[in-house]
Amino acid sequence: MIGHIVKREFFDHLNSLRFALTTLILTALMVTNAVVHLQSHPDKVRRYSENITADQNKLQSRTELYELLKEGPGKLYKQPSALTFIADGGDAFLPNRGTTNWGSWSRSTGFGGGSNVNVRSIWSLDYPTANPNARDLRPKATKIDWVFIITYLLSFIPLLFTFDALSGERESGTLRLCLANPISRPALLVGKFLGTLITVLIPFVFAVLLNLAVISLDSWTQLGIADWGRLGMILLIASGYASIFIAVGLMVSASTRDSRVSLVVLLIVWVALVVFMPSTLGTLATKSMSPVQTAHQRKMARSSALDQINDDFNKQMANKQEAQSPTAGLLNQLQELAKTSPEAAKKFAKENEAELRSAMAQLESQEVGPVELRIRAELVNKDVEIREQLNREHLRAQLAQVQRARMVTRFSPAAIVQYALESMTGTGLNRHLQFLEGVDIHIRQFRNFITETDRADTESLHIIGVPDGMSKKPISPQALPRFEDKITFSDTFNAAIVDMLLLILLLGVFLSGAFLVFIRSDV
Amino acid sequence: MLRTLISQELLSLMMSARFLAAVVITLLLVVANTVVLIDEHENRVASYSQQEKVHREKAVAAETYSRLELFVERPPNPLSLFSAGLDKRLGTTVEIYHGDVPLISSISARNLGNPYLNLFSQIDLVSIFQVVLSLLALLFAYDAIAGDWESGTLRLVISHPVRRGSILFGKYIAAMICLLLPVLMSLLMVLILCSLASSIQFSTTDLLRIGGIVWTTIVYLSLFYLIGLLISTTTRRTATSLMLCMFLWVGLVLVYPNWSRFTINPVGDMRAERQSASQQIEQIWEEADREEQRFLAKSPLEGDPPRFNIGYSGSSSSSGRRYGFNMMKVNEASEPSVPHFQNYQAFIGTTYIRLAEKAALIREQRLARTDIRQATWDKRLMKFSPASLYTFATSAWAGTDLKGMLDFSRATQGYRQMLIDYLRDKDAFASRQWFASDQGAVDWWDLPQFRFERAEVWENAQRALADVSLLFLMNLILFIVTFLIFIKVEV
Repeated sequence: MIGHIVKREFFDHLNSLRFALTTLILTALMVTNAVVHLQSHPDKVRRYSENITADQNKLQSRTELYELLKEGPGKLYKQPSALTFIADGGDAFLPNRGTTNWGSWSRSTGFGGGSNVNVRSIWSLDYPTANPNARDLRPKATKIDWVFIITYLLSFIPLLFTFDALSGERESGTLRLCLANPISRPALLVGKFLGTLITVLIPFVFAVLLNLAVISLDSWTQLGIADWGRLGMILLIASGYASIFIAVGLMVSASTRDSRVSLVVLLIVWVALVVFMPSTLGTLATKSMSPVQTAHQRKMARSSALDQINDDFNKQMANKQEAQSPTAGLLNQLQELAKTSPEAAKKFAKENEAELRSAMAQLESQEVGPVELRIRAELVNKDVEIREQLNREHLRAQLAQVQRARMVTRFSPAAIVQYALESMTGTGLNRHLQFLEGVDIHIRQFRNFITETDRADTESLHIIGVPDGMSKKPISPQALPRFEDKITFSDTFNAAIVDMLLLILLLGVFLSGAFLVFIRSDV
Repeated sequence: MLRTLISQELLSLMMSARFLAAVVITLLLVVANTVVLIDEHENRVASYSQQEKVHREKAVAAETYSRLELFVERPPNPLSLFSAGLDKRLGTTVEIYHGDVPLISSISARNLGNPYLNLFSQIDLVSIFQVVLSLLALLFAYDAIAGDWESGTLRLVISHPVRRGSILFGKYIAAMICLLLPVLMSLLMVLILCSLASSIQFSTTDLLRIGGIVWTTIVYLSLFYLIGLLISTTTRRTATSLMLCMFLWVGLVLVYPNWSRFTINPVGDMRAERQSASQQIEQIWEEADREEQRFLAKSPLEGDPPRFNIGYSGSSSSSGRRYGFNMMKVNEASEPSVPHFQNYQAFIGTTYIRLAEKAALIREQRLARTDIRQATWDKRLMKFSPASLYTFATSAWAGTDLKGMLDFSRATQGYRQMLIDYLRDKDAFASRQWFASDQGAVDWWDLPQFRFERAEVWENAQRALADVSLLFLMNLILFIVTFLIFIKVEV
C-alpha cells in the first residue's frame, strides 16, 4: 500500500513546475561548482607541492645539528583536500601553514659591545593567522560549494514540496477521500514522506553525478576509495538533512488548514533558521565571551615573562664571572650603576678605567666552559618554552571562542550539516584542529631527533641550545623526520560523528512530531 | 473609489498571517543583530582611540626627524551598522612617511582580535531587509491577481465601474504601505537602541544618509512586489505563480550574487601582473641607487663610497624606502663630515620623495588593473540582481563602499603631502636633527594632525544615484508592462 502511495506522490511531483525548476537550479549550481573547481584546484595542488619541495630542500641543506635547531623544522603545510569542491570550509580564513618563524634575537653576554654575539635565540613554534579580508576589495560573496547548495536548497526545496502536501489535500478534499479507503494514517504519512524524499533526491543526485562527471575530467583531482567512501557519507548526510525539512514541512502542513498559512510559516522559519541563525547566533555567542588578548596585551605579557628569565640569566652570569676572576666584580658593579644612574656609572668608569679594561680583556680571553654554556643554553631554552607556552595559550583561547560560537550555532540544522560536511570533506575547523595536532606531534619528534642524534655523538657536550655544546657531526638528510599531512577516512568520520548524530536526532524529533500532529488532526 | 480599494486591500494584507510573521521575524532579527552590532561598534571605537593614542605617543617619541614613525588610523563608520560594506573587513592602519605613497593596498590590519571568528559571516541591518522583506513582498504579490482570478473576485470587482488601472494601483499602494511598516518600525528600534547605547551618535547628515538608505529600501521592495505582480498577472494559477516567485527569489537574492563572481575572470593572470609591476618598481629604486652613486662620486670626501662615519639603519619595502638614524652623539672623528652628510641626506630625501611618487603611479596602475578591476567587474555582473544593486546603493549611501575606502586612502596621501611640506618648512632633510639628536631632540608640537572626513551627503547621494536609478527604472518598466498585460488580459 505504501508503495502505491509513494508511486502516486512521486508521479504527481514529477509533472509539476517545481520539479522542473528544482532540476534546473540544482544542475546550474552544481555545474558552476565543478567548473570553478576545475579552474582553481590545480593551482592549489601545485602550490602545495611546490611549497613542500621548497621547504624540504631548505631543510635538507642544513647539515649541522645546531643549525637545524636554530632554524626549526620549516613551514609545515596543510594538504588541500581532494574534495574541496564539497566544502570550502572557510579555508581562506584558516592558515595553510602550521608554523611561523619570527622574532629571533641575539645578544652578547660580554661587556665588550655588540661585536661578539654569544647567545642566539633558537626557533620556537608560533601559529600563523590568515586574514585575507583585510586586502579583499571585492564585494562579499559565499563560495558556491556543495555546502551552500545543500544548506540552502536542500532545505528550501523540501519545504516547497511539502507545504501543501497535507493542507492542500485537506482543502481540496482528497485527503478525506483517501482516508476513507482502508489506509492507515501512518502509512499515508510515510508514503508522502518517501515520495517527497525521492522527488527531491532525484534532481539532486542527477546534479551531483553531472558535477562529478565534470570534475573527473580533471587529472589533478584523483579520488581514491576512501574519497568515494566519504562522498557516500556526504550524500547520506545531505539526504538526512533534506528529510529533516520534509518532516518539518509535513508537520506544519498537517497542523494548518490553509496551505498559504503553512507556506508562510515554513518560509519564515526557514529564513530564520537557515539564512540568519548560523551567523547571528555565532556573533551573539562571541559577544557574551571574554575577548582574547589583543596584540598589545600579548606583547606586554610576553616581555614581562621574558624579562624575568633575562634577569635570572644576568645574575647567574655575574655570579659565575665573579667566582672566576676577582676583577669581574668591578664590571658587575659598573653594570649595576649604569642601571640606576648613568652619571655615576661614567664617573666610576673613569676612576677605574685600567682595572676595567684588564677585566674585560681577561673575560674575553677566557675559554667558555661547560658551566657557562649551560647557563646560556638555559636562557635559550627557557625563552623558547615561554614563547611557546604563551602562543599555545593564545591559540587555545582563540579556538575556544570559535568552538563555543559553533556550539551555539548548532541550534540551526544548517550549521550542523555544514560542520558535518566540512569534517567529512576534510576542510574547516575540525580539520584544522587535526592539522595542528599533527604539527605538535611532528615538532616533538623533531626535537627528539635532535636530542637523540646529539646523544649518539660521544664528543658532544650534550648541551642543547648553544652551538658549542652540541654535536658537530654532519647529519644525513634522510634521517630527518618528515612531516606528512594526511587526511584519513577515520579522522574525518570521527570529526563528523557528533554532528551526524545530532542530525539523526533532529530527524527523529521532527518525524515523530509530524506523526503525532497528523494522527491527532481532524480531516 | 481608489481609496476604498486601497483600504480594503490594506486591511486584508494586514490581517494576514504572512504580514504578522514577517514583521515579528524582522523585528526579532533587527533587535538581536543591532545589539551585537552596537557592541561591536563600541569595541571598534575603543580600539580606534587606543590605537590613535599609541600612534601619537610613538610619533612624539622620535628624537630625530628620520626616526619619525607616523601611523594613522581609519575611524569606524557608524553607518556600518546598516551596511557593513568594506568598512569592517579592510584594515585600519596606514603608515605615513615621505618615501612611500600610501594607497588602498597599504592599509594594514594590525588589531585583528580573533581572526578565526571570520568563519562566521557578518550580518548588517540592510541584509535583513534584503532577504526577509523581499520575500514578504513576493508573498504579498504572488496571489494579488492570480488569487482573485481563481476565487472569481476579480471578475466581480471589474463588473463595477472601476478602471483596471486603479485596481492594480490600489493593490500596489496597499502592499507598499504594508512593506514600509516593518522597515520604519525596525528603523525606530535601531535608533532607540543606538540612543540607549550612547556610543553611537548619528549626526544630521548621517540621518540624511539613513533617509537615503530607507528610500532605497522602498524602491527595492517595490521592485520585488512588482516582479511578483507581473508573475501573478501572467499566470492564472496561484500555485504556478507561487513556485515561480519562490524560485526567482532564491535565484535573485541568494544564488545569483554568489554565483556571478565565478563566471568571468576579467583580470587574467594576477601573479604575472604583480610581478611585472614589482619589476618596474625595482627598476625605479635601482635608478635611485644610481643617482645616489652619482651624487656620492662628486662628494669631496674620501673613500668609495665616501665615509661619513655615521651609522646606517634603514628599511625598504617594495613600495617605499627610508632610512632612520639616531646618533646620540656625533663624535670628533665624524664631526667634519656632518655638513656633507646633511647635504647627502637632503639629496636622498628629495630623491626618495620623487621616486616614491613615480613608483606610486605604477602601483596605482597595477591596482586598477588587478584588484580594483576585479571588484568593479564583480559589481557589474552582480548588478543583474536587484538584491546586489540594493547592497551597492546602500553601501554607497553609508560610505562603506570601495569609493569611501578610496576617499580614506586619498586623505592619507594628502596627509603625507602635509608631512612633506612640514619637513620642508623646517628644512628637516638638510638639518642636523635629521639624523642626530645631540643638539636636542625634535620638538613635534606643530606636527600636522591627520583628520579624515567622510564624503559629503550629496557626494554619497551621487554615488548611490546610478544604482538607485537603475532600480527605479526597473520599477517603472515592470509597472508599465504589468499594467499593459493586465489591461489586455481577459478575465
